[in-house]
Amino acid sequence: MELDVIICGVGGQGSVRASHILAEAAINAGNRARVGETFGAAMRGGKVSSHVRIGDVYGPLVRERSADIIVAQEPLEGMRIGRKYAAPDGVVILNPPPVYPVDVSTGNAVYPPVDEIEETLRGLAGTVAVVNGTTIAREIGNPRSMNIVMLGAAYGTGLITFDRQILLDVIAAAFKPKFKELNEKAFLAGEKAYKDAVS
Amino acid sequence: MNKVGKDEAGMKTLLMGNEAIARGAVEAGVKVGVGYPGTPSTEVGEVLGDLAGDLGFYFEWSINEKVAIDVASGAALTGARTMVMMKNAGLNVAMDTFATLPYTGVRGGLVIVVADDPGAHYSSTEQDTRPIAQYAEMPCLEPKDQQQAKDMAREAFDLSERMEMPIFLRSVTRLSHASGDVVFGEIEKASREVGWNKHFKLPFRWAVYGPPEGAAGRHGWLKKKYPEFLAESEKSLFNNLQIVPGSPVAIVSSGVATSYVNDALTALKKKGACSILEIGFVYPPPEEKMKKILDAADTILVVEDGNPMLENKLKELASDAGLHKKIIGRGSKAVIPTFNELNPDLVISVVADLLGVEYSFAVVPEETRKKADELTIPRSSALCAGCPHLGSYAGLARVIKKYGKELLIVNGDIGCYEQGGYGVAAQVITPTDNATKKYPVASPYEILDTTYVMGSGIGQAIGERRALGDNASKKVVAVAGDSTFFHACLPALADASLYNADITFLVLDNSWTCMTGHQPSPRSRVNAMGGEVPALDIAAVCRAMGVKFVKVADAYNLEEATEAIDEAISYQGFSVVILTGECVLQVLRREGVVEPKTHVREDVCIGCKQCVAIGCPAVTFDPEKKKAGIDPLLCVDCGLCIQVCPVNAIVTE
Repeated sequence: MELDVIICGVGGQGSVRASHILAEAAINAGNRARVGETFGAAMRGGKVSSHVRIGDVYGPLVRERSADIIVAQEPLEGMRIGRKYAAPDGVVILNPPPVYPVDVSTGNAVYPPVDEIEETLRGLAGTVAVVNGTTIAREIGNPRSMNIVMLGAAYGTGLITFDRQILLDVIAAAFKPKFKELNEKAFLAGEKAYKDAVS
Repeated sequence: MNKVGKDEAGMKTLLMGNEAIARGAVEAGVKVGVGYPGTPSTEVGEVLGDLAGDLGFYFEWSINEKVAIDVASGAALTGARTMVMMKNAGLNVAMDTFATLPYTGVRGGLVIVVADDPGAHYSSTEQDTRPIAQYAEMPCLEPKDQQQAKDMAREAFDLSERMEMPIFLRSVTRLSHASGDVVFGEIEKASREVGWNKHFKLPFRWAVYGPPEGAAGRHGWLKKKYPEFLAESEKSLFNNLQIVPGSPVAIVSSGVATSYVNDALTALKKKGACSILEIGFVYPPPEEKMKKILDAADTILVVEDGNPMLENKLKELASDAGLHKKIIGRGSKAVIPTFNELNPDLVISVVADLLGVEYSFAVVPEETRKKADELTIPRSSALCAGCPHLGSYAGLARVIKKYGKELLIVNGDIGCYEQGGYGVAAQVITPTDNATKKYPVASPYEILDTTYVMGSGIGQAIGERRALGDNASKKVVAVAGDSTFFHACLPALADASLYNADITFLVLDNSWTCMTGHQPSPRSRVNAMGGEVPALDIAAVCRAMGVKFVKVADAYNLEEATEAIDEAISYQGFSVVILTGECVLQVLRREGVVEPKTHVREDVCIGCKQCVAIGCPAVTFDPEKKKAGIDPLLCVDCGLCIQVCPVNAIVTE
């Protein structure tokens, strides 16, 4: 398979972890893979994006307007990445709850309306699916599994063609055993939520 | 055990570039690992520190890179296989030893890993350290991907021992902080004799001034080794030459640029369409292979991340051979911008131009692009919610306000607190050309006047104060963290104390080296291998250096912190205040996250935004209601906002 994915969000949301899980699973499924991380110096709250490239790939970065899937864990970051990288026939999966930057709280900027972000992304990508990973993860009982819900949603696109179980195995190995069941639930809920969102 | 240490040859897994480099050291049977944390190099040391106990070798985070390279070279002189790692700027700190070491060479394999940062994602400069290896006349390797990073790190130890010379392994952010599939090799189990021979193969081998010829003689000895280095480069499998007969163009590349070139050729369906030379052994580069490329093509594109080092070498070889070739890249007649990092879009466009093929990507409709730009507001870097530096800076901001018109310069340094000089990206600043002008400080993100490199703040404060003269109203401050204090501030501290510079030095002691991911500092009571060590006492160090005004204050107690800073600044002479408060992320990691109790009573809040001015990401403000709020996902109940609220609207019950 040949696939370029970007997972973006805010530091602390687990986008780098999710990208490593996807790439490791791709390798286990017999592919070559690269991950390129872009994050600032700060530990928390900074903008983060992680490029995952699967297939006949060499370098770690996705070219402009060629991301097949963008997983936006936060809307402003989805806009930031989407405007540059969304492929015209690509998919953007958007988790709508905002994480406000310090620019907003200090009164230097106004957070853009999330519905306008969604609408603008529709002009950039082939498909925009709103999947509220934050709410779904909370309902499942583990708010920190939002990144796994969103990974499940990415699997729901059908563009990741290897077996689901390969991903679930890597997820299981990446966290403490007590989270195995919750993460599996989160993944499947995300997959279903994507399908519901586009149907 | 960390998977990097697994004794499973043939295992294929995803590794970050830095993990791959550490794996190479493990496979080579590394005996001593040493470094100083610096993004993007840190994980090499983190992995080695993690594995040291299990695999039976030694690892330390040294106090700074100069100490690290000295520790490393000492180990290598005894015959131990040694790896030392640092970031680009760290090499500047280590420079004295680094530039001298090739005059003696080493006995045990010594690999010096330096991670550059084209694009300056995490660094003060974009400096390319490959020319620094050349300047020191030390062989230099540069991997194109994670597999090669592992293979090169492994091979570098053998090379180092064959040539009795340290090997420089240059990485970049897009290699170190990127991941790829890597196949593990065997872990070498052979034991090497570690010992001491002062006349090892040469009289007084380890004394650069030693007889019979002194340092210039040693330089001559190093020069005589160059053909040996070149021969290794010529036969190195890390250089890949593919001549395509009849093609008038060629591409020469090194490091991660080689991967971008391969991506471009794949996307353009032009693999095998032109001659290529991938250079992994970048100093000395393989001259014979470069000459073959010169013979094969008329136009040669050179793609490298940093200075036009290989490009200039190619031009030199062409000139020596009397060849008139078009050699393009980042040098004279640059077709690639001369600053900022390479990226796949840039590389595919120059490769497409070279090959005369069309390449364009889907253009976004003008209207959509404008709307997208308008919606994409900045997300400025911020200190973490509940960070102790927020308290220190809130105290300092109060003192700055109190001193009003009196000149007050705040010199920054390198660490999380450097964000005090980042500003808020969405804020519009209008520069002026006045020699002297005061600006209000509305947030901790504009409190610092200078940020350069580790340890420079306190020295610059001394210079500013001396130049401004002895007028008591000219207040000059410097800040530095605990790790930076020991790393680079001690000589300047002695200077300030000895000559009684009238400056105030604030040490923001959060007990860890946080910005690089919480490596132990001399305050952490733990070493890189997880062992217990004592904490060094900053106040005692200052007093021992003769500092007469030394105070310690709690960074989370705003009144106490403000008072201590105020008193220090009004003191005539050199004063030090140590503001203590452990990094909140480390506290949370240890004690777990609890549901925060802090909240705003909206009926009491008067919308004065004094809590917002602390700059904590957990403090929000609703511009319509004109009320402050607390984000329960971020808040850690540190209590700083409660202390600044004039009407007690923020409470914890």
